[in-house]
Amino acid sequence: MTGIVLEARGLELSFGPTPALRGADLAVEAGEILAIMGPSGSGKSTLLHCLAGILTPDAGEIEFAGRRLDTMKEAQRSELRRDRFGFVFQFGQLVPELTAEENVALPLLLGGRKRAAALAEARSWFGRLGLDGLEARRSGELSGGQAQRVALARAMVTRPDVIFADEPTGALDSLTGEQVMDLLVSTAREHGTTVVVVTHEPRVAACADREVTVRDGRVTTAFMERMAS
Amino acid sequence: MISLGIRLALAGGREALARLVVIACAVAAGVGLLLGMLAAINGVHSQDNRYSWLNSAHSTDTPRSGVDPLWWRLSGDAYQGERIGRVDVAATGTNSPVPPGIPRLPAPGEYYASPALARLLADLPADQLADRYPGHLVGTIGSTALPGPDSLVIVVGRTPAEVKAADGSHEITSITTTPSTDCDDCPVGPKGSSVILILSVTAGALVFPVLILVGMATRLSAARREYRFAAMRLVGATPRQVSVIATAEAALAAAAGVAIGFAVFPPIRLALVRMDFTGTPFFLSDLSLNLWDVLLVVLGVPVAAAVAAGIALARVRVSPLGVARRVTPPPPRAWRLLPMLLGVAELAFFIGRRPNTSAGQSMAFTPGMVLILGGLVYAGPWLTMVGARLMVGRSNDPAVLIAGRRLADDPKAGFRSVGGLVLALCVTTGSVAIITAITAERGLPEIYTAGAGAAVDHTVLGSYLTGWGDDGRPTGAEKPLPASVTTQLRAIPGVAGVTVIHADPLGTPDPTEHQGPVGAARQGGLASCEQLAGTPLFHTCAAGAQTATTAADFDGFGVDIGSNWPRQWPTSSVPAAQLDGLPVLDVVVGTTGSAATVERVRTLLEGTYPDRAMAPWTLSEYRTQAQGQLSSFQRLANTVTLASLVVAGCSLAVGVAGGLSERRRPFSLLRLTGVQLGVLRRTVLLESAMPLLVVSGVAIGMGFLAAELFLKAQLGYSVRSPGAMYCVMVVGGLAASLGVITSTLPLLRRITGPEAARND
Ligand SMILES: Nc1ncnc2c1ncn2[C@@H]1O[C@H](COP(=O)(O)OP(=O)(O)OP(=O)(O)O)[C@@H](O)[C@H]1O
Ligand SMILES: [Mg+2]
Repeated sequence: MTGIVLEARGLELSFGPTPALRGADLAVEAGEILAIMGPSGSGKSTLLHCLAGILTPDAGEIEFAGRRLDTMKEAQRSELRRDRFGFVFQFGQLVPELTAEENVALPLLLGGRKRAAALAEARSWFGRLGLDGLEARRSGELSGGQAQRVALARAMVTRPDVIFADEPTGALDSLTGEQVMDLLVSTAREHGTTVVVVTHEPRVAACADREVTVRDGRVTTAFMERMAS
Repeated sequence: MISLGIRLALAGGREALARLVVIACAVAAGVGLLLGMLAAINGVHSQDNRYSWLNSAHSTDTPRSGVDPLWWRLSGDAYQGERIGRVDVAATGTNSPVPPGIPRLPAPGEYYASPALARLLADLPADQLADRYPGHLVGTIGSTALPGPDSLVIVVGRTPAEVKAADGSHEITSITTTPSTDCDDCPVGPKGSSVILILSVTAGALVFPVLILVGMATRLSAARREYRFAAMRLVGATPRQVSVIATAEAALAAAAGVAIGFAVFPPIRLALVRMDFTGTPFFLSDLSLNLWDVLLVVLGVPVAAAVAAGIALARVRVSPLGVARRVTPPPPRAWRLLPMLLGVAELAFFIGRRPNTSAGQSMAFTPGMVLILGGLVYAGPWLTMVGARLMVGRSNDPAVLIAGRRLADDPKAGFRSVGGLVLALCVTTGSVAIITAITAERGLPEIYTAGAGAAVDHTVLGSYLTGWGDDGRPTGAEKPLPASVTTQLRAIPGVAGVTVIHADPLGTPDPTEHQGPVGAARQGGLASCEQLAGTPLFHTCAAGAQTATTAADFDGFGVDIGSNWPRQWPTSSVPAAQLDGLPVLDVVVGTTGSAATVERVRTLLEGTYPDRAMAPWTLSEYRTQAQGQLSSFQRLANTVTLASLVVAGCSLAVGVAGGLSERRRPFSLLRLTGVQLGVLRRTVLLESAMPLLVVSGVAIGMGFLAAELFLKAQLGYSVRSPGAMYCVMVVGGLAASLGVITSTLPLLRRITGPEAARND
């Protein structure tokens, strides 16, 4: 299954007077693991949020599986995030009131799945991600690496087409970060999931199939980078 | 989705549980009081209906034919300040209408009494009560005919000739069932509408603090909740799903509150029975709720709570990246003072323009009061901001700086936690000021000392004067008092003196009446100087005088502050020997005030002058009667004040604690950078105490101002300095509030501890 699953053309987005994206173009192939790098404040996170349909660009187009994301209604984008996308952010994406397994089951519950079924499905991910015995913990009772793995389980539980990750290892020490990244890469490859990961750690980028760089709100490829220098 | 919402509400740990409990309790308090007020309103209506038959002679019912008319006469009697409703009836045939509660009409020489009166008749010697009623008891009146369980009512059988001859008798053909509310000149009945109005206003005054508490509680740990909602949006919850979840939470808490509210209703009901708004305690069964009341509360309250939660959530846009960064809200403007000032202006407008009907008056004053109360809450943030700017302006204490900046940046948040308390203070001040003024105005004339007050109170006064004719002569005078009765009166143990006021054959003008320039001068009374000496309270004659011209009407004495009687009555030329043969205007009997003495005197006077519309009364009874409703409203006001202070204290605690835990991160960071705990404590204290003190000052001022305007417009009175009780309440309330704030400070150490750095 090759071909372009997600494509952005000429994205522009400003926060008030601050331009964050100024004509970013990016195409993501199905099944590939793409690393987005770049200096701080260059617009990496903003680009990721646009690709995932969280933010709508001021100008430009985003296409996912042949459908225009930028013109889609909020409720539909919510559904899309629930069913087709998964997310792993730096920290703090777990609902503190819920247990770890409930957090993993949450997208299924939101999608209307019965509770018992959703929880069973969620639990099946705990063993694979080395989280055995942590099912009933609250987010405050997990270590940083464990919390990230729970987040990864939640991202994977709906068998999404694309996982978006923004500095997934940013808050972890290098060893733990590596474990989480390995898990992300291996489960993604196992299920053929596309991964778009924002990072500034070359080690993380090294796991990726391809690497692009964002500079001043525009996307450049590593090849073009090298040409420029 | 709803079950997920409920699950989230229940699974949220201690903080969410605290939020649930607080909302549930606030709603419970509100529901309990709301149910109480609804029951009281129903009780007033039922009581009104129970009274209706007594007004049969005044009903507008069309006369019925084919019925033997019933001679009917309603009069007022009294026992120890309690009114006795007396109906004398005489059938003109076998087909005469029968009042409710009795199986048949009493024949002449028989009477039916209410159970409470029957008990008194059995317990007391005949010369204190039973001698007033000709005949004997044949049965008790059933509760269908009684306004309340303690009502004293008697239906006396007489001959048609006897009733016909008496003052105020009527022939009736039916017993009316129209409540007195719908009948303008009905003599008996609570005139429920004004009571209902006051009950509704009270309920309203109470709902304000409860609403504020519900609002506080919904916003409790809002930041964490919003964070949670953002996390759910990220994994694909639609905005609708999020609001369903939030609404389910609020409705769950409200439903729990409604259940608790129904649970606390029975004790509230028991308390209401004793709080006689209408002068007559309710039958417990009358204080009941109908299906509509129950449905209104059971469905209405949770729906209202859900709507409130929806509105609260609509104000923040929960995006998957978190709650849309709130820009600093625009500072409140001075025009926030406008509603409050409008309220003041509205009340001031009615000074000298008081509407004539009581409905018109409530229409006139209620909007002003509501504007002032609502306006106070609306103006609070502005006042807080001004106070904060002043506070920051002249300080280099970091605690003042942090607290002041925060208050000035978001004065709404700063004011929110003290809003309920400020309202309670305003309501308390206003009601205390109004009630103090009315009580003071209705007191004794200032010239009478405390000692004389008791003597005035215990004087039994048979006042027979009904007015003055066009010629200035007193009307209603009774036949001369037989010498034997005077002797009997004096012989009653506890009687200190008897003074009979006679009609003056010379027609001397009344020395206490303001004699107008037109018409005949109102004539005064005539009394023997020897008798007056026995009742020194009512002043004396000049030395050596035999008789004196006195007031014709002793009724208003000690009641109207304006009565300025001369210390010495002008001497009259009528010889003392002539007095005993003259008609009687008043019989004044000084007593020690013991129940037996007062009732014996009353029974004897009623026997001497039967069939008068009004029984002799003592001043203390008159005062109790006049004050009765006032004091029951005072009790109601105290209850409301206390309840709202408690509710307000809760919202303060919730607000301060909630504010603290939301700022656990910034405060922990401040501590990490070396700010001492003491500084943080002072910051927290200042943040709540500043708005509390500033706005409380304004609230107290507004309370007095509103009271002054109302008193001026409605009664022509002025606010007086409230008693020590009020000061204790205000100072105590403020001290307790500062205590509540201080009690949350230990929380600060806990939540800013090193574990706060954890990633949750
Ligand atoms: N909510 C916002 N409001 C205002 N400006 C924003 C907002 N989010 C991002 N920006 C600005 O947009 C620009 C791009 O931000 P973005 O978060 O995409 O950078 P980034 O490449 O992810 O940086 P980092 O590596 O530090 O995370 C920055 O200048 C930032 O200041
Ligand atoms: Mg970023």
